[in-house]
Amino acid sequence: MSGIGLLLAAVPAWAHHAFAAEFDASRPLKLHGTVTEWEMINPHSWIHIDVKNDDGTVVSWMVEAGSPNTLLRLGFSKNSLPPGTELVIDGYQAKDKSNRAVGKNITFPDGKRLFLGGSANELKGNDAAKK
Amino acid sequence: MSHRLLVSAAAIPAALGLLLSQTPASGQTAPAAATKAASTTKAWTPPRIPDGHPDLQGYWTNNTITPLERPKGLGEKEFYTEAELTELMKNEQNRVALNEEEGRPTEPGTDADVHYDFSQFGLDRGQTKLSWNRRTSLIVGPEGTIPPMLPEARKRNAAIAARNKGHEFDGPENRPLSARCLVLGQESVPMLPGGYNNNMQIVQGAGYVATLHEMNHSVRIIPTDGRPHAASEIRQWRGDSRGHWEGNTLVVDVSNFDPRNPFRGSGEKLHVVERYTPVDKNTILYRFTVEDPETWDKPWTAEIALSRVDGPIFEFACHEGNYGLRNTLQGARVAEQDEAAKAEAGAAKAEAGAAKAEAGAAKKAGK
Repeated sequence: MSGIGLLLAAVPAWAHHAFAAEFDASRPLKLHGTVTEWEMINPHSWIHIDVKNDDGTVVSWMVEAGSPNTLLRLGFSKNSLPPGTELVIDGYQAKDKSNRAVGKNITFPDGKRLFLGGSANELKGNDAAKK
Repeated sequence: MSHRLLVSAAAIPAALGLLLSQTPASGQTAPAAATKAASTTKAWTPPRIPDGHPDLQGYWTNNTITPLERPKGLGEKEFYTEAELTELMKNEQNRVALNEEEGRPTEPGTDADVHYDFSQFGLDRGQTKLSWNRRTSLIVGPEGTIPPMLPEARKRNAAIAARNKGHEFDGPENRPLSARCLVLGQESVPMLPGGYNNNMQIVQGAGYVATLHEMNHSVRIIPTDGRPHAASEIRQWRGDSRGHWEGNTLVVDVSNFDPRNPFRGSGEKLHVVERYTPVDKNTILYRFTVEDPETWDKPWTAEIALSRVDGPIFEFACHEGNYGLRNTLQGARVAEQDEAAKAEAGAAKAEAGAAKAEAGAAKKAGK
């Protein structure tokens, strides 16, 4: 039966654009900083963070993240990620080498992941499934 | 070809029966003879709008994990068994749970890894309402796949690809329509789900049906007053829609597609017939037939359930936040500059080497 799962796992996830055209797979990075702004916009939200270097200087980064529509539906809002929130971001830098990155994985300093879709415990089917 | 010839009227009740009867609630015992249920399915009488037509209004999703084409290993198997469906649902539940806990499984340093994690943002399709049924593919029939592309269509598409090759990043016009926020798969015709934002709203008025698509906040206006299609030279990304009612079913004939927005390699003669049939309070069966005599040698048909969801449809406003297009093109310009600098350095090095060799030769000759 496990073969069925494998067959269906190949369903493509359509996205707005090809991320590999915008970000560089050979430039992975890890940013530890605090949120200054969350642009909750489409087609992708952007998290702005200030990263403090070892010498005390601060560098601002913009990090590409998920489309807000589903988050709104789940009850998240712009206030769910207030300025000052500390984040650790694993991602890749933009191909133009600017301070922009894609946030592959975003966690709080204790390792907890930023958001959860929150549906894993409940299988959501259509009403036709109850017939 | 008349759209009436494309879909057999007899196919609809059978399809409805299969769709409805073969989708058990998890934990319930499956009906013993699900495939016989077509005859026992009670006809649903939908509410009416003031003009007497069925009321399809509301918010709907076509989110599913069923692939458009049947996976190769399944051959002519059109439906899973009840037990297999239950297993699939469990597998999907486990996959989503694992992704939420550990993240999307990708290999670091690969293109596939260069992406934010869907599950962190509630964008994994399994995190929102899914329409389940026993179909192994959305495409109906024993083949379950898009017919093979005609040789002339393959040639046409290869020529288009060859023209674009090497110019993908020249300017915004060279980027895909989706990256330019012009038209995305979810809002196109026929409607198919993507990774997320698979929500739409249907609104009806006298002589019109309109659909609003969350991705990417576009409205399709479907006149149902019997008017003919627009002149064939008028081409639109999502074609020109004309609807009429056949009993409870809204039938929409769509032609005049802009070939710059092809559907699975289609050309100028793409013609789609959509059928929206309400089958219960919370479900519309969406069935479409695609034909293009310059691309496939026969029409092909797929079906998918639209399930009722809560509104509203949120704004998408794609252009305003489309930093990705700018970043992609800027990245390409930087890469070109890097290449040019590298070539220049290489040329300078070669020149220095040649000068050195020349000096050496002169020295040798002078001896």
